[in-house]
Formats: sequence, C-alpha cells, structure tokens
Amino acid sequence: MKRRNILTAGAALCALMTAPVAMADEWRPTQPMTMVIGFAAGGSTDIQGRVLARSLEEYFGQPVNVVNQPGGGGAVALTRFMNAAPDGHTFMFGVMLGLTFSPVVTETEYDIDDFRYAGTLVGGQFGVIAAGDAPFQTFEELIEYGRENPMTYAQQLPMDAAIMQNIADQEGLDLAMVPTGGGGGVAPLLLGGEVDFAFSGGIHSQYVPTGDMNILAFFTRDRSPFYEDVPTLVDLGYPYAMDDFRSFFLPGDTPDEIVEAFENAARFAVEHEPFVNVTVENTQHPVVFMDGAETEATLREIRAANEALMAD
Amino acid sequence: MDFSAVGAAASEALSLASFIGIGGGVLLGYVVGVIPGLSRSVAIAIAIPMTFYMSPFIAISFLIGLSKGTAAGSAVSAILLNAPGEASSAATALDGYPLAKQGKPKTALQIGLLASVIGDILATIILIFVAIPFARVALMFGPYEMAAILAFALVFIAGLSSGNVFKGLAAGGFGIFLGTIGLDNQTGLPRLTFGYAELMDGMPLIAVAIGTLALSEMFVQSEKLRYERETMSVALKKDQSDRITWPIFRGIVPTILRGTGIGTFVGALPGLGPSVGSFMSYGMAQKASKNPERFGKGEPKGIAASESADNAVIPAALIPLFGLGIPGNVSAALLIGAFAIHGITVGPLLLRDEPELLYSIFAGMILASLIMLVLGWYGLMFFAQITKVPPHVVIPIVIFFCLAGMMLQGYGTFGLIILMAFALLGYLMKKYDYSFVTFLVAFIITPMLELNLRQSIILSRGDWAILLNRPIAMIFIACTFIALVALIIRTFRKEKPLADAPAD
Repeated sequence: MKRRNILTAGAALCALMTAPVAMADEWRPTQPMTMVIGFAAGGSTDIQGRVLARSLEEYFGQPVNVVNQPGGGGAVALTRFMNAAPDGHTFMFGVMLGLTFSPVVTETEYDIDDFRYAGTLVGGQFGVIAAGDAPFQTFEELIEYGRENPMTYAQQLPMDAAIMQNIADQEGLDLAMVPTGGGGGVAPLLLGGEVDFAFSGGIHSQYVPTGDMNILAFFTRDRSPFYEDVPTLVDLGYPYAMDDFRSFFLPGDTPDEIVEAFENAARFAVEHEPFVNVTVENTQHPVVFMDGAETEATLREIRAANEALMAD
Repeated sequence: MDFSAVGAAASEALSLASFIGIGGGVLLGYVVGVIPGLSRSVAIAIAIPMTFYMSPFIAISFLIGLSKGTAAGSAVSAILLNAPGEASSAATALDGYPLAKQGKPKTALQIGLLASVIGDILATIILIFVAIPFARVALMFGPYEMAAILAFALVFIAGLSSGNVFKGLAAGGFGIFLGTIGLDNQTGLPRLTFGYAELMDGMPLIAVAIGTLALSEMFVQSEKLRYERETMSVALKKDQSDRITWPIFRGIVPTILRGTGIGTFVGALPGLGPSVGSFMSYGMAQKASKNPERFGKGEPKGIAASESADNAVIPAALIPLFGLGIPGNVSAALLIGAFAIHGITVGPLLLRDEPELLYSIFAGMILASLIMLVLGWYGLMFFAQITKVPPHVVIPIVIFFCLAGMMLQGYGTFGLIILMAFALLGYLMKKYDYSFVTFLVAFIITPMLELNLRQSIILSRGDWAILLNRPIAMIFIACTFIALVALIIRTFRKEKPLADAPAD
C-alpha cells in the first residue's frame, strides 16, 4: 500500500509541476478531480477512462482519480452522480446507454434532464458478427441462408434482439434469440459453433484479424472507420440503427463556464496521442468528437429511436 | 516453440527489475489476501494504475504475481481466524481452522502454502506446454455441457455438508433465490430489485461472501469470547512439533495432484471460477479418503485439496485468455484491461505477434510461484503469531477490514447495509446449523446455471434428442443424478449423517 501512496504522490507532483494546457481565462479546477466510470475496472470504458484521466491531468493540471461504480449498465453510477456537487471537480466519463436504454425498460431515478453534456470523445462499435467459417460471409448471404435453415442469434440487449427479430419477421427467417449475459459470453458461443450469428459490442476487433470471426454489418448510423466495406443495417435497407457514444456527463446545475472547459478538454483529448492510440489500437473504438449541444441532441435522438423500437 | 524467444524471455524474467516488480506484486497480494475483506479482484483493480509506470512485461507479471499472492494469502486468514476473505478459501477454513485450534497453526499454514505453490507451478506448466495449443478443447464445453457441470457442482457441493438434509435444502434454496435477483439476461427487465439500481447486477457477491464468511464469524467469535473465554486461546508450542513432517507431506501429495487437476479443469472452462474449483476438490478428496469422517476436524488433506485447486485456477484461467481471448474469470478479465492499457491486445494474436512477451510472462509466473514459496514460508512464521493475539484485539480489527474492504468496492453505504444483513444471516445460519457453504455455492452457481440452461433450452428448441450428440453433457447429467440419488439414500438410511457438518 505504501508503494501506491508514493506513486500517487509522485503522479500528483508531476501533474502539478507541468503547466496545464488549459487557457488562462478558462475555468480551472482548484483541487484533485474525480472521474466516475459506471463500469467495473478492466472493461473498454474503464481502459479508455484511465488513459483519458492522464490526458486530463495534463490539460487541467490537477490529478484525476478514477472511481469505478459498476452496476446496471451505468445506472448505479448515474443515480449516485446525479447528486454530485456541480463544481466540475466530479465528472463522469459516461456511456450513453444508461440514458438511452435503461430509462426505457425500467424505472430510473434520473433522466436525461438531470445532467449536462460536455462533449463526446468515443464512438460505438455495435455490429453483427458470425464465425469465420460460417456458410455466409455477408449479411445478404446470411439472409439467403436463413430462408432455408432455422437460425440462432446471440443477443446482448433487448434492442438488438428487437431489431433482429423485426428483420427476421420481415425476411421470413426462423430465428431463435439466445441470451448471452454480457459481452464476454458471445465469443465462446460463436467460436464453439453453438450459434449462427451474434451481437458484438466490440469483441470482433480481436477475432476478425485472425479470421475466427467475420463482421457482417453494423448497427451504427455511420460505417465504421475500421471496416469501410462493411455496410450498416440502414445501407442494407433496414430502417434500424443502434448507437452509443462515450461523453463527459456533469451534474444538472453545472454552470456554463465549466461545461465549456470540459468541451475544450474533450477537444484536447481527442487530439492527444496516448488517448487516441489506446482507444483506437487497443480497444478498437473510433475517436469521435461532438460538442455538448450535439452530444445532447444525439442522445435524445437515440433515446427516441429506442423508445419507438421497444414500443413494438 | 521458438527457443530463441524462450531464451530471451528467461533472461528478461531474471533481471533485477523483474525480481523487484514480481516480488512486490506477490508481497502486496499476500498481504491483501491475509486481510479479510480485501479480495483478489479488488487488489488487481487497485493495482492497475500502479502499473502505468512499469514496462509491459513487469506490469503483467506484477499483476499475475499479485493474484497468486492473494490466493496464497487468503489461506492465512481462513486458517488462523476462520474468516476467509474470499469464497474460494472457505473450503480451506473447514479443516485449517480446526487444525490451528489443535495448536498446530504452523503445520496448517505450511500445508496450505505447499499445496498452493505446487498446485500453482503445475498448473502454470500445464498452461505453457499443453494448454494453449489445446485451448480450443474448452469450446467443446458449450451451454449444454456447462449447464450439466454446474448442476453437478451444485448437487455435489450441497452434498458435502451432511447435516440435516432439509436444512441443507433450505440453505441452498435461499441461495438460489438470492441468485435470481438482478436484470433478466434476455429482456433486460429488473427482477426483485425493488427499485434499487444497485441490485440490477444482482446481490453483490463480495458483500454476500464477506458477510456470510468473515464478518459473521467475528460475531460468532465475539459471542464465544463472552461466554466461553477460556477455550478461545490457543497455546503455541515452544518446541518444534508444530511443523509439516515428511509423512504428512507424503500423505497429501496425491490430494494436491488431484486438486491441481480439478483446479486446472475448472479454470480452463470460462466462467466457473475458483470457489467451484476449491469446493469440488475438497469434496473429491473427502470421497476418495478412507477416513472421510476426519474431514472438518483438521484433516491435512482437506487443506491441501482446497488450496491446490484454488491456486491452480489462476494460471488455468489464462488458458482460454491466451488461447482464445476469453477470460476464465473476473481476475482474468481485469488482466485484459491491464494488458490493453499497456498497448497489448490479449488473445490468440499475442502468441503470433509477440511470442517473446508471452514467454517472458510465463517465466515471470514461475518466478512468482517461487518467490511466493519463500515469502510465504517466512511470512507464516510471523502470521502464526496472530493466534497469540487475544481475540478481543483481533475481532474488531477484522470487522474494520471487512467494512473498509466493502467501501473500497465502490458500493457505498448500500454495500455496507447488504454486508451487515448477510453477516447477520451468516451468524444465524451458523448458530442454527444451516450450511452456509451450501447457501454460498448455490448463490454463486445459480446465475451461471440459469444462463446456460436458458441458452441450452433455446438452442435445442425444446428438443431433448439433441443431448444424444452431447456425450460430455450426458456424463455430467448422469453424475448429477447419481449424486442426487446417493444424497437421498444417505439421508433416509441414516438418522445420523456420515460426518458432522464440517463447517461448524
């Protein structure tokens, strides 16, 4: 434990010694900051968040501590964070799902209006995957194959299940939905040949290069920068999109100047090499920047789409 | 295998920096393991930021050393205080604590340490030479097989505590009930959460485990302190009789080998985890023993079985991680994150793209085991003195660590309330002789069993005939039925069970 204190102290010292990048006339934190992450340590949000924390230390000139509050796909952290002091020293590197999905399927204490949104840094990678040796290599071939054979799909969220079910109904497929209990459960099912195709929240990144998996389509609104040839469902003529972004969330009463400072910090981080490298190379997520207003508008759009989808 | 890479790997592993890094990891892990209330996954999560300042090889070896250290260290609190910090060492306490109470704390600790280190080294060797090429074998264990294995584990481990079968059913049933709380896997709708967002991922395992295992034991001991003070203290013998002897060691070697095998099997299958491994191993050792009635009363084989399996799970959980990119358990999942922060993507690509790093990590793992042996051997001389400290000093300290450990998990006040509730539950279960082991194992297994069973039913589309193509699943289903029938026969044939409830 002692060693850790020395290291933390050392890190704090380093952070203090280097001059912050933030503009002189901008809001600046006056004490160490806390970054809340709504997922357990080790996931892609956590990895990006921890590297982001180091970029922010450089930007704001204050140490940034990462606190994990896992549970309910971010819902636990959002519920607690809602009541944090709106002074900018506690902020959340949040996943939109907690706001676009959780309130739709369950009662939450918070809602979109309880927070302010100060810029998006990372985009989502939701896709449709199949084993590399599957009898179909594209989404069209999958539909062809499915017209002849009963199929199984490993789902992760009720939304991707609903989208797939709608497509199956439209195309006349006999499709069974298999729950996976989170991202880690998909790979064994697909590699073991138990299911025909599956939802990927990002796990395809390490299996596509080996040829173990094939990515057939993306749920996202735009094509992935990593797989320019792979179409989105919209490209294929299905009117469904499912997206997710990772952004700075601040408590609802946060003043404008602090929100602006975080927007600028996000602008700095998406250009900052360590953060970009880890996000793109290791977690294989695209770095996407949106300012606060655009973030909030996108969030409301996705929420409305999810509500429409789940209303069926 | 690329031998030039192996040579380079060995030389990197033997540098001074790696000795300090790995040794530091093992030491830190050992201390964290000794403290009840702090667990392996917390230790790794806390340590990840420390590794920012290390080279990738040292960082990863540091973390693996850390998780090995916690596994060995958690045996200490299980043996000396009957307060296992993690569910996976609960089986160690069943025999370790009675042996320590008989005035042989050092013997118990030495057995635990040797079993840990041997199980660990053997499993690491299996990982290096056999497992990665054969990691795909794990894929043969699909949802059907996993559901069958989990059902077997549930029945088999429930059969271990041979008290009143109806009390056992009550305890197991309650564990199953609590295991169903949380978001439904398929629909995402909350079940029995009563509007608490904190319960969406289910009752936090860490609160249930620390509460029923460690904190409740402190309540039990406080009560003993009040009413039967004179029997509480253990006199440490001054002479050399309290140490492991060659006959004892020879006796436990087959148990260690069996435990290693079980631990490796359980670890290599993604999802099962160390507590299933250690209890399975304990049960198998009891079944194989000529004197099963000695288990629960300080039988060295009981300690050896549990510890060897618990430690073998850690390297074995890396088999699917390095071979397929699938983490075997929570700690392995945390390692993926640690790797990623250092710019390494774990999985099949690692062996292809960076074999040297992989071999360095293997060499580091073996080094970690050896450091653990030395550190543990001298450490236990020191820790065995804990038995001399009066209980009225130890109990509050342990309670403090349990509560502080819970706060560290980030569950906040809600976590503390849950922890206290389960401590109370554990206290009542111990007092009225309900098996908390059955309860805890049922609680841990239920979510996995439910998911795999649901997957199987959906995939089979309700057709039983599919099992005919699944010989492994058939075998485990048959075993489950045999275990079930044996349990029923034993209950009705004898008024008195075979052995007393080993836990109490």
